[in-house]
Amino acid sequence: MSRNTVAGWSFILPNFLGFALLTLLPVVVLFYVAFTNWNVFGVAEWTGTANFRRMWDDSSFWTALRNTVYYAVFHIPLTLAAALGLALLLNRKLRGVRFFRTIAFFPYITSIVAIAVVWNQLFSPEYGPINALLGAVGVDNPPGWTASATWSMPAVIIVGTWRYMGYYMLLFLAGLQTIPAQLYEAAETDGASPWQRFVHVTLPGLRTTTFFVTVLLTIESFKVFDLILVMTGGGPGQSTLVLSQYIYQKGFEENQFGYASAVSIVLFGICFGITVIQFMVNKRRNS
Amino acid sequence: MKRAIPAVISAATALTLVLAGCGGGDEPVDPNAPVTITLAGWSLASTPEFKTLADGFKATHPNVTVELKEYAPGNDYDTQMITDLAAGTAPDVYVMKNLKNFYTYQSGGQLLDVSDAASGLGSAPGLASYQVDGKAYAVPYRQDSWVLFYNKDLFAKAKVTPPDGSWTWDDYTDAAKRLHTGLKGAGSNATGAYQHTFQSTVQGFALAQTPNADLLSGDFGFLKPYYERSLDLQAAGAQPTFGTAKTNKLTYQAQFGKQQSAMLLMGTWYVATLLNQRTSGDADKFQWGIAPAPQFDKSTTGTSATPVTFGDPTGLGINPKISKSKTAAAKDFLKYAAGPEAGKALAGIGITPAQVTDAVTTSLFGLDGVPQDELSKFAYSKHTIKPENPVSKHTAGLQNLLNETHSAILSDSKGVDEELSKAQTRAKNEVLNQ
Repeated sequence: MSRNTVAGWSFILPNFLGFALLTLLPVVVLFYVAFTNWNVFGVAEWTGTANFRRMWDDSSFWTALRNTVYYAVFHIPLTLAAALGLALLLNRKLRGVRFFRTIAFFPYITSIVAIAVVWNQLFSPEYGPINALLGAVGVDNPPGWTASATWSMPAVIIVGTWRYMGYYMLLFLAGLQTIPAQLYEAAETDGASPWQRFVHVTLPGLRTTTFFVTVLLTIESFKVFDLILVMTGGGPGQSTLVLSQYIYQKGFEENQFGYASAVSIVLFGICFGITVIQFMVNKRRNS
Repeated sequence: MKRAIPAVISAATALTLVLAGCGGGDEPVDPNAPVTITLAGWSLASTPEFKTLADGFKATHPNVTVELKEYAPGNDYDTQMITDLAAGTAPDVYVMKNLKNFYTYQSGGQLLDVSDAASGLGSAPGLASYQVDGKAYAVPYRQDSWVLFYNKDLFAKAKVTPPDGSWTWDDYTDAAKRLHTGLKGAGSNATGAYQHTFQSTVQGFALAQTPNADLLSGDFGFLKPYYERSLDLQAAGAQPTFGTAKTNKLTYQAQFGKQQSAMLLMGTWYVATLLNQRTSGDADKFQWGIAPAPQFDKSTTGTSATPVTFGDPTGLGINPKISKSKTAAAKDFLKYAAGPEAGKALAGIGITPAQVTDAVTTSLFGLDGVPQDELSKFAYSKHTIKPENPVSKHTAGLQNLLNETHSAILSDSKGVDEELSKAQTRAKNEVLNQ
């Protein structure tokens, strides 16, 4: 072994050991446990594909999957639009722009529990200011928000979008700064309207950033957990129960670690599959 | 050769240690030798019961020190304990905080057979919950039961007759509505009743009181009248809606302590909490009392009958990985904690012990601020307590499912019949078939 190889390994090893021990090994174990019946104590009993077959007849699993997709389908485009809108607005040379950028980023660094408490009070059907406002503008029957099985998911999506838009705005801002100013000048000289400049200069210039943001947002949306756990706990009923919470419930509350691991694999498969498709679409578009 | 010498010494030392270990079991253990056993507790600064037990035991067993190990409060306690037990780092004695998880510990081989320690406890309510195939795997040291707390001042203000121990659920509903009207008329915003968002406030009573109700049957029809009454109270404005309680994060402590509600169905642990609230200024000063929980029908009402209520015991079990030299001390500790001496000591800090004797009642009602009327003493000391969580491998799954049903019904999104029928189908297909 050459001296350089030894040096190289010595740099990689500490990090790799940490990764192997804390990430790789648990993931490998997860794949094994998914095919067993295991309640943490004692030996895991090998049950083959029983956990996956059980999922097929488990209406709660399908409810959780449906709710996860519901959240993702609305949360992704809404956050994308809000983040891009904010980035365009705050990319100008305005007085106090830094202050507004900080404000927009603020929800992302605020404690999730504080967010849940405040938003739940805002959403309170009887005493909340949101419904008071809706009442003031003539809405006779304002929604029940987190207290209603129909409106709980929209409420969570609104808060989710509000929380994450600042972070993705920052990524879009970085992307916007890489677009050469000459392109805008040239477009303006050619008589392009602001909308045409946005469609033909800004959007193509942001393609890499948009792709990156979409991939991150997709994974984040499918894995949503803490926000829903503290805002609604999955309720009322099962109206906001999502896959990651279902995994937690089966694993840590009911001690069915085999089944919880199997559901985790399905969630992993969904995230992985969608990301691969996004990469393929992006590659085709680029070529 | 030089290297061989230390190796031989090490091997010889190891062999000596192994042999010494083997022979150790035959030697008589000195019962007075100093022993330290570890005990799991949660929020040690604000939960004095563990220190009370440790100190009380030390007084009678000076050679045994009970060292407290702090765990997370709430539901995280079991998660943390299960992790520690699986890793082999759990304390010698640990608390069965929740009967729901007893099955996991016992079936997982994480509890020592403590039948000998339990044998002297007689008919302590709650002991049966810890028995499997005739053997006891934990002993109860606490046994709360659910009663009705009421605010005498608000009853007087609303000109409504306070409970006398004869109430069925219809009487309770009727009183809550009359309180609502009366309090409103007297210019107060307080509601007649407050049922916290816990599923227990509805399901616990329904399961305990309805004849032949069985959680594990998967037939939940017995819940219907209890939910209809709760919905009726919400609709009448006699109690805050489930949505309001959830979204505004109402606490039962503030609702009753700050006189926002005239009645509160809660476990007897609230006696100690309310006393502390008054000392810290978190509660107003007002006249209050305890009455038996409203009953299914008249047959269990009145002070000559025994009211039926529910409550899970809190137990202590021994980690099977405890060293043999400590087992006897740990079992003695269990005997003490579940016995009459610890009972009196616990009652002295407002905690309801496993066996409520006259001495316990006297001790608890001797605390400053506890009501002195006969009905309160009766409600505290006389009742049949049924477990909220019957021990079974399906209990945790069924309770989770019923918790979702609880929020679905009380948020008034779908009808009671529809939600209960959905719960029954789910119980059959998702829990009971596993």
